[in-house]
Amino acid sequence: MNDYDIVIGLEVHCQLKTASKIFCGCSTAFENPANSNICPVCAGYPGVLPVFNAKALSLGVRTSLALNCKINEKIYFERKNYFYPDLPKNYQISQFKQPLGEKGFIELLSGRKIGITRVHLEEDAGKSIHKENYSLVDLNRTGTPLMEIVSEPDMVSPQEAYEYLTALKMLLRYIGVSDCDMEKGSLRCDANISLKKKGETKLGTKVELKNMNSFKGVRDGLNFEAFRQEKVLNSNEKIFQETRLWDDVGGKTVVMRTKEESHDYRYFPEPDLLDFSIPLSLIGQEKPKVGESPLKCRARFLSVYGLGEKDADTLVGEPAFAEFFEAACKYFNDPKKIAGWFLGPLLEQANTLTDKFDGIKITPENFAQVVKYFSEGKLNNLAAKKVLAFAAATNDSADKIIEREGLTQVSDESAIEALAKEAIAENVKVVEEYKGGKQQAIMFLVGQVMKKSKGKANPQMARGLLEEIINGGNK
Amino acid sequence: MSNITHLSGLALAEKIKAGAADAAQLFNTFRDKIKGKGKELNSFVEVYDTPVAAKGNSVLSGVPIAIKDNICIKGKRITCASKILNTHTAVYDATVIERLKNAGLRIIGTCNMDEFAFGSSTENSCYGRVKNPWDLTRIPGGSSGGSAAAVAARLVPFALGSDTGGSIRQPAALCGVVGMKPTYGRVSRFGLIAFGSSLDQIGPITTDMADCAQLLNILCGEDKHDSTCAAIAVPDFTQGLSELKPGVRIGIPKEYFAVGLNVEVKASIDEVLNVFKSKGAKIVEVTLPHTEYAVATYYIIGASEASSNLQRFDGVRYGLRVKGDNLIDTYAKTRGEGFGAEAKRRIFLGTYSLSSGYYDAYFVRALKVRRLIKEDFDKAFKTVDVILTPTSPTAAFKAGEKISDPLSMYLSDIYTISANLAGVPAVSIPCGFNKENLPIGFQLIGKAFDEMTLINLGFAYQNVTDFHQKMPKIAYE
Repeated sequence: MNDYDIVIGLEVHCQLKTASKIFCGCSTAFENPANSNICPVCAGYPGVLPVFNAKALSLGVRTSLALNCKINEKIYFERKNYFYPDLPKNYQISQFKQPLGEKGFIELLSGRKIGITRVHLEEDAGKSIHKENYSLVDLNRTGTPLMEIVSEPDMVSPQEAYEYLTALKMLLRYIGVSDCDMEKGSLRCDANISLKKKGETKLGTKVELKNMNSFKGVRDGLNFEAFRQEKVLNSNEKIFQETRLWDDVGGKTVVMRTKEESHDYRYFPEPDLLDFSIPLSLIGQEKPKVGESPLKCRARFLSVYGLGEKDADTLVGEPAFAEFFEAACKYFNDPKKIAGWFLGPLLEQANTLTDKFDGIKITPENFAQVVKYFSEGKLNNLAAKKVLAFAAATNDSADKIIEREGLTQVSDESAIEALAKEAIAENVKVVEEYKGGKQQAIMFLVGQVMKKSKGKANPQMARGLLEEIINGGNK
Repeated sequence: MSNITHLSGLALAEKIKAGAADAAQLFNTFRDKIKGKGKELNSFVEVYDTPVAAKGNSVLSGVPIAIKDNICIKGKRITCASKILNTHTAVYDATVIERLKNAGLRIIGTCNMDEFAFGSSTENSCYGRVKNPWDLTRIPGGSSGGSAAAVAARLVPFALGSDTGGSIRQPAALCGVVGMKPTYGRVSRFGLIAFGSSLDQIGPITTDMADCAQLLNILCGEDKHDSTCAAIAVPDFTQGLSELKPGVRIGIPKEYFAVGLNVEVKASIDEVLNVFKSKGAKIVEVTLPHTEYAVATYYIIGASEASSNLQRFDGVRYGLRVKGDNLIDTYAKTRGEGFGAEAKRRIFLGTYSLSSGYYDAYFVRALKVRRLIKEDFDKAFKTVDVILTPTSPTAAFKAGEKISDPLSMYLSDIYTISANLAGVPAVSIPCGFNKENLPIGFQLIGKAFDEMTLINLGFAYQNVTDFHQKMPKIAYE
């Protein structure tokens, strides 16, 4: 790519986290059987009218603020007209001339700023399932609130497009507006890519790329397309303005439709919904929910708490994690241990629950106490995990659980020594192996001591005593 | 005893309450009349053997009512008089239907209409044309021609219609009954199969102003299912059923009395003015300078919205499906066979007006003119309380006379269209007959949400005239 600059812009659609659909009262949870989650409104029956979901507006405003957009005072919806069986009204209620937010930007991890052209709200279509001789339509998804975020053509490489998506996903999850799960379809991405001769200002003919199913797919598709376009230009041929599909398996793009086949959407203002103004109070209400940008939060986790990048990314990637982590650090100031115990044992607990992390009952304060007891040697690793398991389900204080379950670590030398002697006497063969140079054999003996102490013995102390007795006996 | 079907809805309700009439028997009497002599008019699509279950109570409890066939009644066939919906059953109640049920009214059937409300003569129905009860060779007006003809022939005491450019008022005038289009946003449109969403309103067709006021009391008011339905308090409209408000100022727009107005209609309107003058009203000339653009503006906006609204009739989920070789072919065949000529004409017109390259010249321009028309009314209402005009430039014309000349057909709505564009309320009231004994109506146009003044003037007028009590011969049969 020595002679050309790559120019990339992305259009991202993400599902907003609302309980009900954007223009009717149906639930947005649509794992149910096909067409079970619909009503006359979202199924486009004759005579129905849309009623706008205020929660979708709040989330749209929050996103616009987080993306540094100017929020338009007067908003209206328009109809985008096209025929397709999974679009029951054969028009989509969307925004065209006057989007909710425009002229913003997002900062990438690299420090580069990518312009945001517009943020607008619209309804999702249903799903077509194509069989050999017929097609089926599932309207459960129809009317799910979507937010379309269009970037400026500011990205200069497929890798940067990947970074943009990563940053956008982190932001949208952080402010709680969308799950951004590309595999589940809660985030979808189309890309526009063109090449221009280095040093030239005039943009080349762009190609629209669709059908990418992962961030990696976006990057791969763009890479393929950049090289394809370079080859075309180098052989003095023309790039056609067209829409191409990314074939993930074949690793190539294929033509979907040419410019001549493109739709005339006949946009016009949706007469069934009134124009409305964004109240200042709504902006005031959403502003605090944007707060610190996830990038700033990540930087702080690295510098202030001294976390590694991977831990910081995981914590920032889920706003609830970051919040819990920071709160816990206030009660026990050893951020690395807090992070380790949070990302390890606590999330393991969470993953066993139906509600995942939302099902965790323990407060940051009680959690911090468990980590503190472990650090102080009051609880051994096993016992601390046990306490967490109880605490995750009940939020009883660590002290209460320790007392109830008798989990305080035994660091009483004489008690452990007695158990160590027992273990040695019962496992003569293992002791011989150890003496013969098999270092790991000692761990088996430590395990025996732990078992005898019902997990309460301090394992370091047990190991020290075992070594001392065996080696001492050898002297 | 005189024929009970000749009574107004309110009079019937009083009889039922007093025990002088039985609601079930009354229903059967009307039903049999519709199925008997009434059949000649072709004013009904469906007549129910038993009424749609009603639950609540009101002043009009027990009285039968007919519904234009574009308003959804749960569990009943709804067709918009179109082949494309011929087999469709409504899966929910329109808000107005729910309100009628809650008020104890007994729905008796659905009325014939121009397909999807496209027309001014009720000749564009897949069930055939509706006949004017005053002269069966003539049209009843449209698109609520079935509702108006049924009420005029006393096949039912009152009916609901819908009005996008005059579809309640023009047939009311041509059939000699009262038809009110309330302010846009006064009555919920939820459950009304849309023609022009920014223009459509449901309204009552009655024999007199008292029934009109009573029905408005039931129909009006905000609705959580319709965002365009206004959260404005609804007065008790029967308060308007009183002596003429003293000092009322009636505006006469000079543009409505220019070329094209039939001399007999003009003479009748002059008589109406004399009545109001004699009751102390002030008659003031006003100007609505953009009137001449109203028809063009209306046909662009109405057709544009309709072209989009009718896209859902595609054979995929409900209604007619004519299988083609592939998806596009199925769409084309279904819509090609399902829609009638006028529906297709409006779809073409609207699709064209919204197309890129024409959008600004047609649709956007029409929106601008619409605003000017609304401003004309705002200005006029600074000096007058109400505007009085003819409802239609002529009395009922012959069936087939204009069907092949859409432009002259479109001009029969020339006086009614502006009220829809401006969103203001308007009512047509019978005010005489021409030499051929065909009814003539006058129109009162009010300020937004001031239906009360229209009711007051209409009531005062009907107090001293008897045109609304005249019935066509068929009503006696």
